[in-house]
Amino acid sequence: MSLLTHNLTAKTSQQTTQSMASKPSGPSRPLIRVSDFDFFYGEKQALFDINMEMRENEVTAFIGPSGCGKSTLLRCINRMNDLVEVARIGRGKIEVNDADIYDPRVDTIELRKRVGMVFQKSNPFPKSIYENVIYGLRIQGINKKSVLDETVERCLKGAALWEEVRDRLDTSGMSLSGGQQQRLCIARALAVEPDILLMDEPCSALDPVATAKVEELIHSLKDHYTIVIVTHNMQQAARVSDKTAFFYLGKLIEMGKTDEIFMSPKNEQTEAYISGRFG
Amino acid sequence: MTEEGENNRYDLHSRRRQFLGIDKDQALKGLFGGNAIVSIVVLALITFFLFKEGAAFFGQYRENIDLYRRSGIEYVDIMKEQSESYSELNRYLNSIRSEHATMLREEGLSFADARAKLSGYEDFIYAIEDLGYPVSEYVLEMSEVAVGARDMYEDAANYREHRENLLELGRDEEAAEVEVLDVDLSLFVDMIKEGEADFLALNDALEAGLRERIADLPTIGVESLDAKMQRFGELALMFIVEMERTEQLLSDWTSEKRVGMFTALASFVFGEDWVTNSSIQDWYGIMPLFTGSLLVASIAMVFAVPLGVGAAIYVNQFANQKEQTLIKPYIEFISAIPSVVIGFFGIAVFGQFVREVSGWAILSGFDFFPISERLTAFTAGCLLALMAIPTIFTLAEDAINNVPKSFKEASLAMGATRLQTTLRIIVPTSLSGIISAILLGFGRVIGETMVVLLCAGNRIEIPDFTNGIGTFFEPVHTMTGIIAQELGEVVNGSIHYRALFMVGMVLFVISLFINYMAQKIVLKYQVSRG
Ligand SMILES: Nc1ncnc2c1ncn2[C@@H]1O[C@H](COP(=O)(O)OP(=O)(O)OP(=O)(O)O)[C@@H](O)[C@H]1O
Ligand SMILES: [Mg+2]
Repeated sequence: MSLLTHNLTAKTSQQTTQSMASKPSGPSRPLIRVSDFDFFYGEKQALFDINMEMRENEVTAFIGPSGCGKSTLLRCINRMNDLVEVARIGRGKIEVNDADIYDPRVDTIELRKRVGMVFQKSNPFPKSIYENVIYGLRIQGINKKSVLDETVERCLKGAALWEEVRDRLDTSGMSLSGGQQQRLCIARALAVEPDILLMDEPCSALDPVATAKVEELIHSLKDHYTIVIVTHNMQQAARVSDKTAFFYLGKLIEMGKTDEIFMSPKNEQTEAYISGRFG
Repeated sequence: MTEEGENNRYDLHSRRRQFLGIDKDQALKGLFGGNAIVSIVVLALITFFLFKEGAAFFGQYRENIDLYRRSGIEYVDIMKEQSESYSELNRYLNSIRSEHATMLREEGLSFADARAKLSGYEDFIYAIEDLGYPVSEYVLEMSEVAVGARDMYEDAANYREHRENLLELGRDEEAAEVEVLDVDLSLFVDMIKEGEADFLALNDALEAGLRERIADLPTIGVESLDAKMQRFGELALMFIVEMERTEQLLSDWTSEKRVGMFTALASFVFGEDWVTNSSIQDWYGIMPLFTGSLLVASIAMVFAVPLGVGAAIYVNQFANQKEQTLIKPYIEFISAIPSVVIGFFGIAVFGQFVREVSGWAILSGFDFFPISERLTAFTAGCLLALMAIPTIFTLAEDAINNVPKSFKEASLAMGATRLQTTLRIIVPTSLSGIISAILLGFGRVIGETMVVLLCAGNRIEIPDFTNGIGTFFEPVHTMTGIIAQELGEVVNGSIHYRALFMVGMVLFVISLFINYMAQKIVLKYQVSRG
């Protein structure tokens, strides 16, 4: 393993134990730092000169009109954009835990274990609930029954799904309702013990009750994870996030404490968007 | 909505243009429905035709086998089987001699010296050979009687039919001229049966002679050959047991017992002989053809499945855009090669190549190499694999492509490698689609005709599966091949003609079954995904 990933791994695990031990007080340190970041799909520039920090144990919400690059930035943080053949970085860098994740020596596999992702459309595998949750462990070669059982219970509890499915762990993950499926996907992401959870519109396909459950879950996860969530729902951003970043046409327009952004936005575009006058 | 639409909002009558009271939608519906009906009708017609021509087969075949019994040919065949066993015994003995001769030649002995060494036990060999002649001559004689009787009987039946036809047409004078013999088969059978005592006497003489000879086996002086000579003694004793069994069968045999429909059916389904245009008795057993088809198709699948599925996985999961645009059409292009061209290539190039490779020194560890035949099940199987690959590849690639992209993303986002994602998510999810692709590839291969006709070697015999992998290098004949080869020259309505139709039926049923299974599997797959 490269020196760099080692650095990434070592520091984050140290930090995890720290954060598990006690809820940090005062301003936490920045875990994700984006600097001077330009990003292209082929010739088309999707992100312009992004500079921002996401702090440990905080929930950061990305808001902005459709097509402004929220998902693109999110997918850059765990390098899912590597799958897009035409994707390339123009300038700048993204650091996770002070390590440049686009350094050629970085192993994307290791990175993605640290930076989990939950997608807009729930996508459980066509396997049992049990197998869905432990997928991340299986691919790491962990097959010990006691470890797996413990993980399933812990993660399903963590995703507030345990009570609903404890009696039918061997039924297909696809037999669950939409909201349950999304929480199953969150449980699955938790099983690899990431430090960061990226969520791309996790509630957009859910009804209000299921949405409330997922939001509650995000609240409780905040103690142990750093969360970045993309949402089109202003109330949701206001409810769940500590910081909010507003994007427009590939640029970061404004970022700050959620209360401040919603109460007294400094930028008029932000204000227009929040108050529903466009987008 | 258009302005006119606004104006006529509440006029709910159809405004679509009509022609002969049919509007465009209905016409299209009719067109497509018509196509569906045409396909169904054609399928029904083919099925009906096959059934009509094939179903009469068993009746005819039963009668044919019955005649085989009534004319006593069956009885003679029991004796003949014993004679053939004896010939085999002789062949074994001769193989010892030729092995010895080769050995001596390799030792560098002169021809005269070698002869001298061989002559030590050549008398023994000749004596054994001579012992068998009286019996085999007797059998030949009886065979002539029985076959002659059968032929006369059939001729008489043909004349009778001819006369009846004339009578029906009112040509009474001509009909009167047709002479019809009354052939009583039982007379001939009695004659043959009466000879049983003679046969038993000949057999006794053979047994006595054989026992006398093997009590005093010659020694050759080479250990391995002497062991073989001992083995010959054992085989001869086994033959004596067989003689007793033959005698038992002969005394149990009767021409009175009628051949049932079941015998005809069993003789077709399990029959090990496909013998046509024989002067003695024709046999229509599908087993050699069925096993031949199966063997060739299995060999084809051994190559086509890993290659086709592997290529599909690679192209869909690992190849970049450029490789995809190159590989996909290229593989699909294979299916554009006419099968006769592939067969031609098999004869002209590939068969020869396989035989040459089998002669390479590094392969001499396999005892079935080098092979002597150019055209074998292996040759045909490899070429058929080429034809199955595009089918399997295209369908498997479709199945893999149908796996939602979100599964792949989710897996990769968990820190899985591409390989893990493919093996743990993509392949299991598309497995039923892949299996049905394999099944359809198999269906394609088992129905393929031209290549097997040209390249499989066309020897009608059940492959000897005791040879292990060597079985692959035997020439075989196939169900499709036999139809293509023989249908052109059979008499319309004859048993042979009907037998070929039955083979066609079997093929049809196999294909239907495979397609049905493939569909069922795909259906199950969609349900489990939904
Ligand atoms: N795979 C891709 N290839 C090319 N262009 C892309 C690709 N994905 C996104 N884009 C482009 O990048 C821009 C940003 O897209 P992105 O998906 O990040 O928007 P978004 O803010 O997430 O929008 P939404 O709210 O609708 O999800 C869009 O103009 C889009 O067309
Ligand atoms: Mg998006």
